[in-house]
Amino acid sequence: MFDNWLIREDSLKNVTENGKVVGFKMGVRIADYRGAILSLHNGYYINVDGVVYPREVQKFEINGKPPRDFEEIKKAVHEHWNYDDEGMLYVMKEGGLEPGIHHIEFQQSILCRYGYAPAVDEEWVRNPPVPGSGAGAGKTSAIVSFDIPLTE
Amino acid sequence: MGIKRGVSLYSYQQEQFFKRMNLRDQIKEVRESLDTDGIEIIDQQAIRDYPNPSDEWLDMWHSAMAEFNMKAVTMDVYMDVLQYRDHVMLYDECAERLKNDIRLAKKLGFANVRCLSAVPLEVIKMAIPVAEECDVRIGKEIHANHVLDDEMVTELVTYAERRQTPYVGLVPDMGIFQYRPSMPSMNYAVRHGANPDIIPLAFDCFEQHMDVEEAVKYVQGKIPGTERRELTFLRSLDMYNHQKPELMKDLVPHIVSIHGKIWEMTEIPGEPGHYEDASIDYVTPFKYLKEGGYEGYVDTEYEGQRHKQDQGLENIANEVEEVRRHHEMMRRLIGE
Repeated sequence: MFDNWLIREDSLKNVTENGKVVGFKMGVRIADYRGAILSLHNGYYINVDGVVYPREVQKFEINGKPPRDFEEIKKAVHEHWNYDDEGMLYVMKEGGLEPGIHHIEFQQSILCRYGYAPAVDEEWVRNPPVPGSGAGAGKTSAIVSFDIPLTE
Repeated sequence: MGIKRGVSLYSYQQEQFFKRMNLRDQIKEVRESLDTDGIEIIDQQAIRDYPNPSDEWLDMWHSAMAEFNMKAVTMDVYMDVLQYRDHVMLYDECAERLKNDIRLAKKLGFANVRCLSAVPLEVIKMAIPVAEECDVRIGKEIHANHVLDDEMVTELVTYAERRQTPYVGLVPDMGIFQYRPSMPSMNYAVRHGANPDIIPLAFDCFEQHMDVEEAVKYVQGKIPGTERRELTFLRSLDMYNHQKPELMKDLVPHIVSIHGKIWEMTEIPGEPGHYEDASIDYVTPFKYLKEGGYEGYVDTEYEGQRHKQDQGLENIANEVEEVRRHHEMMRRLIGE
């Protein structure tokens, strides 16, 4: 769902901390028809120009709080990512991205459920799916591609 | 009296996503363009800061509903069993979420909550005292892959009758009466690599009441090398073969409200201005609903937009128009 609008096309920017470029970020929307309990948000498959950036180097900013890594997000069991809201996905990468157009392949993982699924429930508690496999990709199970410019 | 018309604001999810219609705009559309009052919502779509909306949001909701003189019919609620991430939710934790959702529905003025097909009856039973206290009925959805006389339905009906309670019932989704492949979904599959020659074969599979394995064999027989992932119609094919629409009549006393699922409303050949969803049978089930004296709501649930969102803005669905067409059809079938 919302395949072509999951990343806002003018939102790709480098992130600077203490005068150094430490990564890049982009505005993302929820790939579903409803919001999500934030703890269920399980990270992204994100491949930029052929390089995959795993969940461990990703952070997510939502609800006016500083960016959190996905181990912290996991603890947000009573917080809601509202359907209407854009979140900011941060990817830690020294030096950030070069100016110009970047090819991004993207899949969101949110472990929202429609009830018990004995085949995967316990497994996903122990080993949450790695984003990109389609597991936990909810309503947009395809990997979606974008060619968008770095704007800052 | 008779069947009442409503809209699940689910139908306007794309308008909301693009911030072209807010909640008030959606409610206004139902009143002013469809001339009806039934409103159904998806809790986590419509309610900002679910499950604890602000007073400001609640004021906005109540004033919009009052301004257009609307009726809050059903609030659709969920059961995300992995919410706590460190364990799979126990039945009593699921029941807590359901109870809280019922209280929230009450606060918003809803008559019913819809819980999912997969919610165990045991969980629903734990929430009945709260449903009674709030005077909110719990309707379990009969969604695709379920049939009207399967164990889930009979178990619930038996329980409701034995306990003599109106607080546990059913929300049939008209998608269970799908009898042909839906074109938006077939076209999506084709844009993503499925062989277009599969489309007519998919129609054959439905017409000949094939089961899934027969259908796979049939298509692969005609087009060797067809991959299973190209056959997106199999899921809907799976349920059509077993549905008995006449059962709707006897289920009427247990129906809390109905999801009026549609994939795409197209003009009926030879009948200008009259529309149908060419993949879902409404005529037969509506006949049985009328015979059974159903006086509840059928709330439009337009779901075809997701199959067009891989294209440019100029080719995405027009949700407002789809819902308007569905109400043209419902008015006709109801005999308004």
